[in-house]
Amino acid sequence: MNVLRWYTKAMLTNRSIWSWGVGFMLFWLVIGAFVESQGENLSGSGVTTYTAAWYVVIVLFSMSMFAVAVANSYTYGSAALSYSFRFSKLSPRSFFGSVVGGAAVMGAALSCVMLGCTLVLFGIRFGARLAPTDVPALLAVSVAAGVFYMALATTLMLIVINYLGLKSSSFVAFVPLLFSYAFGLAQVYAQLPAWLLYVSPYNEIESLLYQAFVGQPPRLQIGGTSSEVLAWPYLAVGLVLWTLLLSGSAAWLLGRIKSRQVEEGRQI
Amino acid sequence: MLHVENLTVEYPVSRSPALRQVNLDLQGQKMVLVGSNGSGKTTLFKALLGLVRAKTGHISLFGQDLSSVRGMTPVSTNLPEVYRLMSLPVSDLVEIHARLKGGSGAEVLGRLRALSLTEILPKRIFELSQGQQKMLGNLLAVSFDPRLVLLDEPFDNVDFERRRKLVDLLRALPAEILLSTHELELVSRFEGWRLAFLFEGQLFGPFQIEDLDRLYLSRGRLTQAVSVLETGLGAFSITFDHGELPIRRATSLIALMEALP
Repeated sequence: MNVLRWYTKAMLTNRSIWSWGVGFMLFWLVIGAFVESQGENLSGSGVTTYTAAWYVVIVLFSMSMFAVAVANSYTYGSAALSYSFRFSKLSPRSFFGSVVGGAAVMGAALSCVMLGCTLVLFGIRFGARLAPTDVPALLAVSVAAGVFYMALATTLMLIVINYLGLKSSSFVAFVPLLFSYAFGLAQVYAQLPAWLLYVSPYNEIESLLYQAFVGQPPRLQIGGTSSEVLAWPYLAVGLVLWTLLLSGSAAWLLGRIKSRQVEEGRQI
Repeated sequence: MLHVENLTVEYPVSRSPALRQVNLDLQGQKMVLVGSNGSGKTTLFKALLGLVRAKTGHISLFGQDLSSVRGMTPVSTNLPEVYRLMSLPVSDLVEIHARLKGGSGAEVLGRLRALSLTEILPKRIFELSQGQQKMLGNLLAVSFDPRLVLLDEPFDNVDFERRRKLVDLLRALPAEILLSTHELELVSRFEGWRLAFLFEGQLFGPFQIEDLDRLYLSRGRLTQAVSVLETGLGAFSITFDHGELPIRRATSLIALMEALP
């Protein structure tokens, strides 16, 4: 018995995801298109590179807001899940399968909305018709990114729920967001070592999305001039391994979920 | 079939246990559990559903140890937190829980109509009044052919007419029921059911609802007592036919204790 249809609906109608994961990101896209670009003298491939850099960072931020919503849903739903696994046909495995399906849909939806907004805003700013080079690859990476962020948020929050108590839940819910900002911006503003980019799932997502957008492998710094480029198969394998590892741990933790009272997290 | 043996529950920050050595046996019967606010009723229900951890004791449902229970659809409750699986309109939640329990949402929709509650269908749970939330939980708990229903304060914030209909529904329901309430005056509506009292985490009884007119409460430990309540206010004895105050006349057990000299 799965709840994919309802879980997807709950995610797609979640106001927090749309206001923070889309609305707030639109604000940053406007900044990127019309404010940050003021001092840049861009043309041709420079416009594409600049636009792609903003798009991949914004997708990371948007997905991380989705992760925050996923994490919070466990805080509020721990009793319901614990009860449902005991006294209904819902099993931890089928529920997790539904969550993976919902996350894949959300990953694709958020990425597509961000792509559309990026193309329109940056197209207006630079007077150019912009388009990603490899849309299927971009969609595939977006789906994988959605599942990765869900698995990360689920694992972190279930560790809190099952073993630590909810007092640290607010902070932990924001961990994926904090790492997204740190790793995502680092690759744009600095030249990171290659090994780190191959190991960090955030940079794997960022680099793969960038390659799908511009059609060329990313350098160590997004839009940078280093001679070393990243190989997409290694990036893809790294992302898949991270997603599998976190999905496995999330599914295991879900089967042991403890019921917690939401008020526990609000007490000082 | 519910069997509870020496159940003790202690919350980490609390000095005294929320439940102490509770023993309870439901073999196809229905029981009303009377206890004032804070007596441990909700904790007992949560423990029976595995939502709080027992410090000691044993709980079995239909012969199966609670810790190994999975997919036991005939057990249900009206505790509101178990219905917050996702943030969706009530109509979707009804459909989800019907599927998860192997039933049909039409059953709940019919009952919502009978109780003039269809207006709640497009709303989310946090948009409902306390009474509407309680009735939604009650109706989900009694639907989909349950065999054991745990109802925690099902009449709280529920208006008179809906209370009457709910009482009729519960009396006719072919299932074991454990129903808690702090309203002693409601108890007489459940003729034929068993009766127990929960006070400061301790369970006293069982009696029969029909015995309510014969039960008296007296201060101290009396030799003819059928049950002795050891409380923070001292010891009290429950006796048949004679005693200081008739339990029937009280609005709550604690009010009765305080009325005793």
